[in-house]
Amino acid sequence: MLIYILRRLALMVFVLWGVTLAAFLISHALPADPAAAALGNNAREAQLQEFRVRNGLDKSLPVQYGVYMGRLLTGDLGTSLRTQNSITADLKQFFPATLELTLGAVVFAVLIGLPLGILAALQHGKALDLLARIFALLGGATPVYWLAILALNVFHERLGWLPGPGRLDAYSLAPPVHSGLMTVDAVLARDPQVLVDGLRHLILPGLVLGAFSAALLTRMTRSALLEVLSQDYIRTARAKGLKGSRVIWRHALKNAALPLLTVFGSLFGSLLTGAVLTETIFSWPGIGSYATTSAISLDFPAVMGVTLVAGLAYSLVNLIVDLAYASFDPRISFS
Amino acid sequence: MHPAEASTPLASSTARPLLSKPPLPSRLLRRSLALALALSLPLAAAQSGRESTLVLGGDFSDLITLDPGVSYEFTGSLLAGNLYDTLVAYEGNDLTKVRPRLATSWTVTPTASGSRLTFKLRAAKFSTGRPVTAADVVYSLNRVIQLKTPSSFLLTDVANLKVGSVTAPDAKTVVMDIPKTANPNIVLALLTFNVAGVVDAAEAKAHEQSGDYGTAWLKDHSAGSGPFLLNRWDRSAQVALDVNPSAWRKSPNIKRVILRYMLESAVQQSALNSGEIDVAWDYTPDAFKTALKNPKLKGLKTGTFQLQYLGMNSGKGAAFEDPRVREAVRYAIDQDGIIKSLLQGLGRKTQTIIPIGLAGANTALPYSYDPAKAKALLAAAGKSNLSVDFSIPTGSCAGGVPCQDLAAKIQSDLAKVGIKANIKQMVSADLYTMYRAQKAELIMAPWSPDYADADGNGTPLADFNAKSLAWRNVWQNDAASKLAQSAAIENDPAKRLGLYKQLTELVAKDGPFAILYQPYKPVVISASVVGFGRNANGDVRFEKISKK
Amino acid sequence: MTTTLPVSRRSDNAALRKLRRNSGAMLGFVLLLLLLLAALFGPLFLGNPGAQDLAARLSPPSAAHWLGTDQLGRDVLTRVLSGARISLGLGVSVMLASLITGSLIGLLAGLLSGWWDEGLMRLTDIFLAFPSLILAMAISAALGPNLTNVMIAVALVSWPTYARLIRAQVLALREREFVEAARALGSSQGRVALRHLLPNSLAPLLVQGSFDVGSAILTAAGLGFIGFGAQPPTPEWGAMVSETRNYIAQAPWASSAPAVAILLTVLAFNLIGDGLRDVFDPRGR
Repeated sequence: MLIYILRRLALMVFVLWGVTLAAFLISHALPADPAAAALGNNAREAQLQEFRVRNGLDKSLPVQYGVYMGRLLTGDLGTSLRTQNSITADLKQFFPATLELTLGAVVFAVLIGLPLGILAALQHGKALDLLARIFALLGGATPVYWLAILALNVFHERLGWLPGPGRLDAYSLAPPVHSGLMTVDAVLARDPQVLVDGLRHLILPGLVLGAFSAALLTRMTRSALLEVLSQDYIRTARAKGLKGSRVIWRHALKNAALPLLTVFGSLFGSLLTGAVLTETIFSWPGIGSYATTSAISLDFPAVMGVTLVAGLAYSLVNLIVDLAYASFDPRISFS
Repeated sequence: MHPAEASTPLASSTARPLLSKPPLPSRLLRRSLALALALSLPLAAAQSGRESTLVLGGDFSDLITLDPGVSYEFTGSLLAGNLYDTLVAYEGNDLTKVRPRLATSWTVTPTASGSRLTFKLRAAKFSTGRPVTAADVVYSLNRVIQLKTPSSFLLTDVANLKVGSVTAPDAKTVVMDIPKTANPNIVLALLTFNVAGVVDAAEAKAHEQSGDYGTAWLKDHSAGSGPFLLNRWDRSAQVALDVNPSAWRKSPNIKRVILRYMLESAVQQSALNSGEIDVAWDYTPDAFKTALKNPKLKGLKTGTFQLQYLGMNSGKGAAFEDPRVREAVRYAIDQDGIIKSLLQGLGRKTQTIIPIGLAGANTALPYSYDPAKAKALLAAAGKSNLSVDFSIPTGSCAGGVPCQDLAAKIQSDLAKVGIKANIKQMVSADLYTMYRAQKAELIMAPWSPDYADADGNGTPLADFNAKSLAWRNVWQNDAASKLAQSAAIENDPAKRLGLYKQLTELVAKDGPFAILYQPYKPVVISASVVGFGRNANGDVRFEKISKK
Repeated sequence: MTTTLPVSRRSDNAALRKLRRNSGAMLGFVLLLLLLLAALFGPLFLGNPGAQDLAARLSPPSAAHWLGTDQLGRDVLTRVLSGARISLGLGVSVMLASLITGSLIGLLAGLLSGWWDEGLMRLTDIFLAFPSLILAMAISAALGPNLTNVMIAVALVSWPTYARLIRAQVLALREREFVEAARALGSSQGRVALRHLLPNSLAPLLVQGSFDVGSAILTAAGLGFIGFGAQPPTPEWGAMVSETRNYIAQAPWASSAPAVAILLTVLAFNLIGDGLRDVFDPRGR
């Protein structure tokens, strides 16, 4: 087991190294000048040159990459070209917001996807099966930014049920930052008002970001459950006269949990990085909107930082899922 | 106050009849209603400061620092103007005359080497409680000169200032010596910008790290004498300014100003209609027109010195080398159609390179919309079937119109005369890299002068040697260069106007530009906001605003 | 998602019969058929999708413009119908390109095993760990924005799923008796692969592929939002939604029409995918 984990961690480091190399190569393949991007349209040539020297952009590509990797080994992701801030500090600031939004989206995806998937499986082949699947698909089948703008237009502007963009109301100042998660910080500050405000602000972006995953989860729950339901021991249990609902809850769902775990892992991993557009529309100060702003201004050290953190999150979540999978299912051995 | 603001979200949602709502799947409706019920708690306490808090929503993602000496972006300038004082400033919309700010009076006297500007300071205090002295002014200007910030060229290259040019003979007097190559009127215009904002020298020095003149600290702190001070900047979320108790420009009504980041225009519209923000920064022209009809909203359109233009590569062998092709493009563009429909009137028709409102502007309109003439010119030049790459920025163009819509209109105008323009949207970083390398064939871009003077456009747009727009479009015309250079330093107003008339006529006839329009900047505010004004430089004085 | 599907060994006829009884799949096929008919014949009856009429911009649906007009006075119905070819073409070509690339890489990894397997799968991991929209953005920016490059960018981020899927299939099938038997009879590796592995992997590929057509269209739409998508005046649905989103309050029809077109397409392909999975999975009944 320990050897397995070590092997996986080593592979993860290799994959992350590949991610940095790919990100570095791509960002240098872009036909644009990061100095001009950072200093703006009216900047004079001398300023640009000075900027290049200060940020080491005048060196050759291998040297730049070497410098970058050397710093990275000490945990330093470098300096943003656009803001001249430490990227490590930037990511520390922006990551919790994305984590909070992602957790919210996962909650919504589970709340919607799991019941609909179970319903569809139990009603397999009947009208409700189809209806449940179509309903689950609706949210994730349109461009996410359109859905987000529409949701704000309807639920915030017209109906007034839910707050607008951002993590908090403009009139309530944020609590002191401890975890960076607004809800946790509100609890730490013993501020129920901010807690409720923060939760309310999570609903629309969480639903919009979770919509696509909800459809996925519905489908996977349905097929996992169908597979289990058709297996002999369930049939036996049913034949023995166990009541339908108990069979489902006791046996089927327990066994269907394994494939669902896999889905959950990749879902969580892709959500973290998929928040780019949702965060942009909802003015959510997370790594998704940070990635967009950085990418648009060709701030490639920042983009590489985000990429690396997203890659790390993705790999870690998948490792945890695999480990959980193996500890649930004795038939799987670590190899 | 809006009715919706006074009541809780729950009350407002149940008070309205369900039937009048837009049709939605009933299941979704019920689910959302349940969620809304679960989390709809009154937020009364959070709303207590509403009347003294001004909330602006906009795309403020250009904000990278609040240091007045470093910031060269719109949002940074907007905030710096409220956090810091400059020696002189413009009042209201009149950008032709500089007026007292920190300096109560000043004189310009000729010297052997150029001119000397002498400023007398008023009694003022920084937000730190320290008095503003002439030494602070000297320190603030010198730090910009030595830091080489994105905007320092204004002081070093345009005003020709060096360390030592500015001195403080006593605590209330600032003396500035400039050489003959700098025009004192342009220097005064430059001093209205945030680059010349006065910081508390003692505070900046206290936070200095490895010779950075406090830039790292001033990035997200403030130490100025403006009416506000920085409470907190949550990057990508919001900036909160609080009233500065020791300011001489008092803010009697607004005690807190919040800038909320909202990148999408549609989202700003939702937030303004719901009352969540008081001011929206980025409305599209059509949304602006709709807002004008809404009694709860007010629309402000402020003039700017921007020009939205097409740049045509006129280099050897390039598509627009022949001046007749460039003229053809100017005849082919349906300027009136663009301004009337796409911009909904948020632009002024102009065809010359000095913006309306600056001394030297030329309001002549030599080009009528004439596709037939354009076709004839193209035929004469042997370019009846021209195909070019048409590079445009992403996002919004001047006046708030989405660039892609403006480009699609121009594309169809050009198609009518036989020019095929292949649109390529690029993020501004990509776009300007290509443009700077003289590699753009046909480009659509905005231009804002660095300072409110005809020379802010004259030199960059006409003088090839300035390595700016004329250079980027590979348009080299010695007569134009000469005119631009002599107009820049001409001190006689009448002679100067004459030179600019010649220059604008020359560039309009032969130059590499097709001016599309001079935009108005639309800002939409809640009807409860009083005293909101925005000038052509983008300055807003928050201390003059109140909320009903 | 890389769930390995057990392979169907029933005859095609039985599968088809099952598919025909699957109401979801049938609904999907009907939707798809309608979309295809619209794509094929729609443009024949309509004018130029780029024709502008600024006097009639942002007008609501009427007899002259059944779905209204957009911000440049272009007929929305005409644009949505002419966009059908482009968007469906985009979805299907991206799916095919990533399916073929991914399958080849997965096949190579599975067959060659050892270092090749290790190397190719780590490459796949790198692509999976890379945030897909950022990668697509970067590729599209590097190549220059146009429809073809958008397709290349989206294909480059979606192939790894197929590589994993095929490799898992190959590993599973390698152990099966009939492949062992074929090998024992002297068939070479390559022939075993072609004769047995690929046909047996067809079902999971079809299922995954049908889901991916929709997600390719959605990813392209996301690129359009940031400005790296199809360029004006191309009536690609994603680009249309992104261009008209600024007018959502003034002309909701202009952005709803292409968004609903995307929704129907994604729905159709997902229902077909679900149906195929139901049919080909021998245990799921």
